[in-house]
Amino acid sequence: MRFSTLLRKELRECLPWLLLAAIVFLAVGGFVLHLEPYDENYNYRYSRISPCDILSCYDLTYYPILQVTGPWLLLSSIGLGLVLGVRHFWIPHFTRTWPFLLHRSANRQTILAAKLTAASIAFIISLGTLWFGFYWYACRPEVFAVPQTLRVFIEGWIFIMLGFVVYLGTALSALSTANWYTTKIFGLLLATVIIVTTLSQWTLAGIFTAIAVGVAVLLSQIFDTFLRREF
Amino acid sequence: MKLKINLKHIARPAKIFMTVFILLIAVLILQGIILEAEQMSAYKKRRSAETKSKAELTQQEKRLDRIKNSVKEFLPDGTIHLIYKPKHIAGRRGEFETEQIYDVNDNLLWEGPQIERPYEYLSWAGRLHGKDSFTYHRVDFTLQRLKQIQTITPVFSQNIEVPVRSGDKTRQIWRYHPGRDVFVGYHFKGEKIGYAGSTGFTDSKSKTKPFGKFRVFNAWCPEDSTSPTLLWQTQRRIFQINFEKQNVELIFESIDADIRTIGLNAWVDPVPGTKEYFDRDKYRPLIHCLTEDNKHHLIMRNPQQRLTFSIPEDWKDWIGSGCGFTATKQNIYLLRNWIEFRAPPDYFQDEELHEQWRRDYQSKPKTRWVELYKMDNQGGLELLNRYDWTLPPPPSVPVVKARDPRPAVKRYVSQISPPFYDYVLRLLGRKFWSWALDYQNRGDFFYSLARMVLDIRPYGGVINRVLSALMIGFAFLHGWSRRTSWPKFVFWLVFVGIFNLAGLLTYLALNHTAVIKCPICGKRRGLAQVDCVRCQAELPAPERGKLDLIFST
Repeated sequence: MRFSTLLRKELRECLPWLLLAAIVFLAVGGFVLHLEPYDENYNYRYSRISPCDILSCYDLTYYPILQVTGPWLLLSSIGLGLVLGVRHFWIPHFTRTWPFLLHRSANRQTILAAKLTAASIAFIISLGTLWFGFYWYACRPEVFAVPQTLRVFIEGWIFIMLGFVVYLGTALSALSTANWYTTKIFGLLLATVIIVTTLSQWTLAGIFTAIAVGVAVLLSQIFDTFLRREF
Repeated sequence: MKLKINLKHIARPAKIFMTVFILLIAVLILQGIILEAEQMSAYKKRRSAETKSKAELTQQEKRLDRIKNSVKEFLPDGTIHLIYKPKHIAGRRGEFETEQIYDVNDNLLWEGPQIERPYEYLSWAGRLHGKDSFTYHRVDFTLQRLKQIQTITPVFSQNIEVPVRSGDKTRQIWRYHPGRDVFVGYHFKGEKIGYAGSTGFTDSKSKTKPFGKFRVFNAWCPEDSTSPTLLWQTQRRIFQINFEKQNVELIFESIDADIRTIGLNAWVDPVPGTKEYFDRDKYRPLIHCLTEDNKHHLIMRNPQQRLTFSIPEDWKDWIGSGCGFTATKQNIYLLRNWIEFRAPPDYFQDEELHEQWRRDYQSKPKTRWVELYKMDNQGGLELLNRYDWTLPPPPSVPVVKARDPRPAVKRYVSQISPPFYDYVLRLLGRKFWSWALDYQNRGDFFYSLARMVLDIRPYGGVINRVLSALMIGFAFLHGWSRRTSWPKFVFWLVFVGIFNLAGLLTYLALNHTAVIKCPICGKRRGLAQVDCVRCQAELPAPERGKLDLIFST
């Protein structure tokens, strides 16, 4: 009961940002996807091929149709992670509202769990469902003749997970009591390293390992710091 | 409470890991900046020194330089010509204004633009790899490139798609699925057409057999079509796939060993006049396939013929042993390039011996050979002609006598690297590093990380050890008054020793506390421990004030 009350409170705080990310992704992503003349591109792309040609090695490689939405998904995800991290863990410092939140009948684990769950739900609702919708749209044969691969769908979810990693990095930086010029920003730096690691790998196993290790390192510290520190 | 205690055992190592990981990257970036800056300035110096030294060369040195930089070509009768290209066309890489053709006695036979060349030399099977001098086909798609396009980017990863066209319209798309090693075809009206695998084209997924682990492919359009045909090489097989005619032809299968490289000569149908064009009246289509058991397989057509050839054992003792093959209507030829210098010992078996070999190689002059053989149908060789020239040691490369063979700046910069890198290198062993540094993995994050670690490791240098010792000393002095327990204190000293600068910074970041003078024993003590480490006195309590009502009751 206490958890659900706290979760509702956190979700209420998430709502404007959740909607903003969803609107940005839906509006811009949908617009550029709608404009993509994919079938014409196929004819245009191969129009220079003529008999006896030896093809260059990259003539036959292609980016999926959903590529136009990729940067928007990644940016929305990272932006949402950053904003939610600041909203959940930094703003209470500035507004001095931590004591009001902590001096409830709920324990600290419940409060932290509510925040993390609210953030996860925000990512799934705002970006996850939209991403699923875009993928479903791009896979319809009457829209685009050649359907998208499952890998593209997974890669979209990796972008969403990267947003969650940024959220955790921001949370750890906000909770750290160190000075900003020492280890305070290390949470955000680790999130950055994980993004760079992820965007320079070709195996999904390597990507998921990097994300899992990063999430484990950040989460364990967030819980430990949150349960121990004085506000 | 229990959760708090349990979490401490996970969170504390996680914090140390995160801090040291980020600081190691920071140190690596710092080292990288110094090395790049040094390399840029060294490059400028070397360029100006080379320009000067070329002007100062004697006639004999100029001649040797010309011979070294000339391409050695063979006429079908075995005559050797040296082709020297003195000057690039400005702004056009790989294209030259004129060329000079010399015979082996250094007589100038002809000079003029390449297109007007009066001689027709033997052309050799170009290797589908883009790494050596036999490469004419720079259009091949290797496993490394496949991995590169699979790298996740903000616009997702790419895939291979082969169109089937009629007129100006694309009618079908055949998409490669790397996980299943098959192609899936889609009609442009949206429905799935079928699958292509090693057994051919089918309409059912279950009937499709995978091609096998992909290695390299190249693509061209036949004379009468605008739909590409692929030559598809897997770990042990070579296929030719024609999507328009829905035909998969198995060209070659190696039973005993994996295929290392393949090369083509006159196999595809290029436009006459282009660089890749071979006169079909003179040459037979040829695929040269080298397998891991060092066997060369020649697959020829017009007429169909297959030949397997093992190079003589004594050829393997020398470095630079490259073999090129070609088949004319009359003969099969082998071109051998080699350097009269013994092959190096295995780096991982004897590092010292390998470094000694490297120093010798850098410092001694070497004789380079090029030989032309005629092959009979049983793989027997007949030497037609050979030519040799001397390679002087490069003057700009200093001979390093130290144990660490790297340039001086790198040696000094790597002294702040953690000795941990050296331990990791030895601990993980040859197999791991061969796998991690496989050329095919280039571009991957872990490849780059492994390459950097190997590049910047301290090589057990004396300065590195002295620096580590100094840092341990500093950590000892810093930690002595702040210590809370002996195991922790010793752990941090060892940690600083292993990670050098990054270790010291991590130690300071996670352990620095203010110190006060103990009111009982007068020694310095940290505030992280309630009891004084020397006299066990507790921290002094604040004095009670007159208005301190809570404490006084």
